[in-house]
Amino acid sequence: MTTTVVELWTEEPLVRYVGQASARLVVIMTPAGQVLAQHGFAKAVDLMGIAALGAAIMASSGALADLVGEATFGALFHAGVRHGIHLAPCRTPRGPLVVLTVFGRETSIGLVEFFFDEFAAALHAAAPAEQARGPVLAENFEAELGSSLAALFGR
Amino acid sequence: MSLVNFTTREITCKIVYYGPGRSGKTTNLQYIYSQVPDDRKGRMVSLATQTDRTLFFDFLPLDLGSISGFTTKFQLYTVPGQVYYNATRKLVLQGADGVVFVADSQARQLDENIESLQNLHLNILEHGVDVRTLPMVLQWNKQDLPRDLILSPQELDDALNFRTLPAFPADALHGSGVFETLKAISAEVLRRLSQTSSGGRD
Repeated sequence: MTTTVVELWTEEPLVRYVGQASARLVVIMTPAGQVLAQHGFAKAVDLMGIAALGAAIMASSGALADLVGEATFGALFHAGVRHGIHLAPCRTPRGPLVVLTVFGRETSIGLVEFFFDEFAAALHAAAPAEQARGPVLAENFEAELGSSLAALFGR
Repeated sequence: MSLVNFTTREITCKIVYYGPGRSGKTTNLQYIYSQVPDDRKGRMVSLATQTDRTLFFDFLPLDLGSISGFTTKFQLYTVPGQVYYNATRKLVLQGADGVVFVADSQARQLDENIESLQNLHLNILEHGVDVRTLPMVLQWNKQDLPRDLILSPQELDDALNFRTLPAFPADALHGSGVFETLKAISAEVLRRLSQTSSGGRD
């Protein structure tokens, strides 16, 4: 099973959580659905779809909470025949995050919830403050973008 | 804000197709999906009603390949255009790195275009983003319809493009203008990454 991280500070807490909770798939994402770290996915584009749906569920749940006068509904849990999912918010110095955990029969929602609390605390402790960022792309990136898109559209 | 992974040299950007109901936002994504090879796209997710109207969003992940040494991925979203779905529109707009406003060129749809554009500005503002700093392009869709039913690109420019944003005539059903629109918004979004910026993230 692969673990990939966009921001290194997420790696150690993620690896520990996956082991403790016996999770099959875990995605750490921003509320906008951008993936910060993941465990268990082989194909990045599938991961993006799952992150988009997870973030959407969390966002609509938050909007519903607001409508009925609740600050938040906290974690969500869905049980299936072979898999369960646990979806929960997590506050860090880098801003709010959303964590989606997919687990099977080798563990339970109780264990996932128990270790998620430790995981959320570990993420909060590990997250550095926001940093300024310099230029990422070269100034002449547009030629490469043009040829990449042309190839994508078979032109 | 675009997510940049310096370790694996990857960039991920979120682009939202916005506009009034039935202007062709989903059609844009469907055309892109039909043109892109399987190994460069993920599954297109559509949360739609039984009559295929977008209920929450459509989502299409694309792998653009390497740009300046960074593997660049785009997440394309649409919003539901109908007026009463504003709550979900606002949720989808959260964290957008760029917006494509898809206008319906039919003359009788002008008021809906204006209302949707105003709604876009309001929702962006409510997310605490200055609309002038958000990369945006306009698309005048359905330009293939009979001339007497539609407004010309110049007339649409006069009515809707008061910020002189890049604008493209299109026939999304048959693909005309779709590629040009995607290319323009991609360039606008990535241009911000070639400039010095803060590392803020939504």
